[in-house]
Amino acid sequence: MRIVVGVKWVPNTQAVRIDPETGTLIRKGVPSIVNPHDLPAVEAALRLRERVGGEVIVVSMAPPPAVKGLELVLGMGADRAVLVTDRVFAGADTWATSYVLSRAIQKISAEIGRVDLVLFGHETIDSSTSHVQAQVASWLDWPYVYYVSSIEPLGDNAVRVERELEEYEEEYVVELPAVVSIAIKAMKPRPVSLQSKLRAKLERRIITWTNADLKLDPRCVGLKGSPTVVAKTVDMPEVPRKKEVYRPRDPKDAARWIIRKMVEDEKLREVMKGIVGDEL
Amino acid sequence: MAKGGGLFNLSKFDVVVVGAGPSGSTAAYLLAKAGFKVLLLERGRGAGSKLLWGGKAYAEPLRKVWPELDKEAPIHRWVTKERISIVWGERALTLEYKLGRKVAFTSPLPELAGWMAKKAESAGALLLDEVPVDEIVVKEGRAVGVRSGNDFVSADVVIDAEGANRILLEKLGLADRPSPYDMALGVKEVLSLDPRLIEERFGLERDEGLSWLILGDITAGIPGGGFVYTMRETIGIGLVLNIGHAAVAAEKGILRDHVSRLVEGLRTHPYFRNYWREADVIEYGGRMTIEGGLRFVPKRLYSNGLLVVGDAAGMLVNTGYTIRGVDTAVTSARLAAEAIIEARDRGGFTEENLRAYEEKVRESYIYRDLVEHSGIAEIFDDPFFFSKVPSLATRAASKLFEADYGEPSLLEAIKRSAEEEEISLLRLMLKVGRVVRRI
Repeated sequence: MRIVVGVKWVPNTQAVRIDPETGTLIRKGVPSIVNPHDLPAVEAALRLRERVGGEVIVVSMAPPPAVKGLELVLGMGADRAVLVTDRVFAGADTWATSYVLSRAIQKISAEIGRVDLVLFGHETIDSSTSHVQAQVASWLDWPYVYYVSSIEPLGDNAVRVERELEEYEEEYVVELPAVVSIAIKAMKPRPVSLQSKLRAKLERRIITWTNADLKLDPRCVGLKGSPTVVAKTVDMPEVPRKKEVYRPRDPKDAARWIIRKMVEDEKLREVMKGIVGDEL
Repeated sequence: MAKGGGLFNLSKFDVVVVGAGPSGSTAAYLLAKAGFKVLLLERGRGAGSKLLWGGKAYAEPLRKVWPELDKEAPIHRWVTKERISIVWGERALTLEYKLGRKVAFTSPLPELAGWMAKKAESAGALLLDEVPVDEIVVKEGRAVGVRSGNDFVSADVVIDAEGANRILLEKLGLADRPSPYDMALGVKEVLSLDPRLIEERFGLERDEGLSWLILGDITAGIPGGGFVYTMRETIGIGLVLNIGHAAVAAEKGILRDHVSRLVEGLRTHPYFRNYWREADVIEYGGRMTIEGGLRFVPKRLYSNGLLVVGDAAGMLVNTGYTIRGVDTAVTSARLAAEAIIEARDRGGFTEENLRAYEEKVRESYIYRDLVEHSGIAEIFDDPFFFSKVPSLATRAASKLFEADYGEPSLLEAIKRSAEEEEISLLRLMLKVGRVVRRI
């Protein structure tokens, strides 16, 4: 089974700023990591490969430093990685991203071998839209199942998946090829292994594709190919903290102190009145 | 085994270095430069990511490895002022020395170690991060490689640069579990401040820095001290506390709060807080370190196919007024690399041939300093120096500077303070005298 796993290279901190002109993220100067929610999908792919054989290929559309993240995933045991990188892909929304990724997956199918299954994480920590998986499935015209907590091979042409929803569980048999996204924390990703990491470093197992390879219309990719318009971004002003600390031995004193503070504060008093009424 | 990878064989290296801190990266750099196939393994994400310190490093021993240090290394400020303060309550007594030369510089250690690791990589060493080593594998009395999870890589020589927490060495039986009294806990905050304000408030020129050592009740009487280092755009402040004594203090109820509260106490202390008024706390952290001194040095720094460098080898000199851990780590690694190169030329990495490393260390300034300043251990063993001495010193100073009845002589001030503190002058003189002779 040839499995492609989509991973995203995301900024790691809360210190992300937003470009006021374009409404897109400014990534410069912010350390990045592999989106943690993608790692269970990598784990799922590796487990499938262990059972039925085949190949796990990681694909990411990202700037060149993402090689570091792909090395991590290769270190977990993925067989190879495709980094899709080009300046014209920059500033992409989910639509443009999914277009590029789906074309990259088709190119993998054509040049490396037929792709049977595409796995994604549930969402990314920097935008949380969960759009890209569904959009990739649409571009490829493949079925899409999400919230998947476990996935089992079923012969050569299907997988059995379980979806764990809030109040019930579902089980589906999905014919391949298909796109599946793995629920957050559904599987514990394995640590990097020394040998895999060595191979990742020493054998050139990261393929880089630019738009010279994919040959996509520049109007359909990157910022230009992104119909999403960020209408407005609101900067939430930081509330100045009072930085008061009270540490009595008796918790009752602490409770009294907090209540007194709340009553003394004009804004909080209004809120409290709304809750307990005029008895305050 | 997978197909070979060009330059390297996947499971066989000349040298495997465990830990990409200052000592590990130095050894990897020098050996890669000398033509060895070197694998440098680091458990953290990126070299240096597990490190935390004040941060002042002495330049000359580093220049011996990298003559280009001054130009290339991430040097934040050259230390031009050394300050020592004794603090008790709101009183403080400060001594400042203005240096005339570029002796030491400030730099955040993860950044400096990152630079050293880059140097090692560009010399040809292969750095793999996020790979924890579980075991140094010994066969027939000889270190033959390392194991990480289920994977093994073999090496002619293994260099243990694992740092203060000697899990691997203890497993091998080459080091005992340390006494908590030989270990310390460093806790630190990084405060962000406009460089111009840093320079104005500390009286510094651009690129000049200050290193500040603090003794007194900021450690709640626990043997240890505080530090302040000015970086380019940040100030590092924190405390180092002896773990053994801290545990006793916690049991006795003297240390009631989390130790981070003590750092907060330093940050908000009336004597210090205006230096970093309006600064933001942008980072905080804690790390175990060693107190320094001979007691932590393992019985042997070498065995068949194995050398121990840096903190793991106890290469940290604590004189009481300066703490040197980075230059000593780098120097020990340089000596280890020299010994390995010589051993290769003599035909093998046998115990006999690697013994030269320990001899080199014994002849170096590190060992001299470790012996010379062994008295420091006596200070750290004795809370007297961290409670009675600072309170007495500040009280005596108050008699000199806050006198509203006839000005006492210095000796008179000390005498009267000692009486008030119920300290025997004889005991004080004996203790201080012994220490002064030995540090």
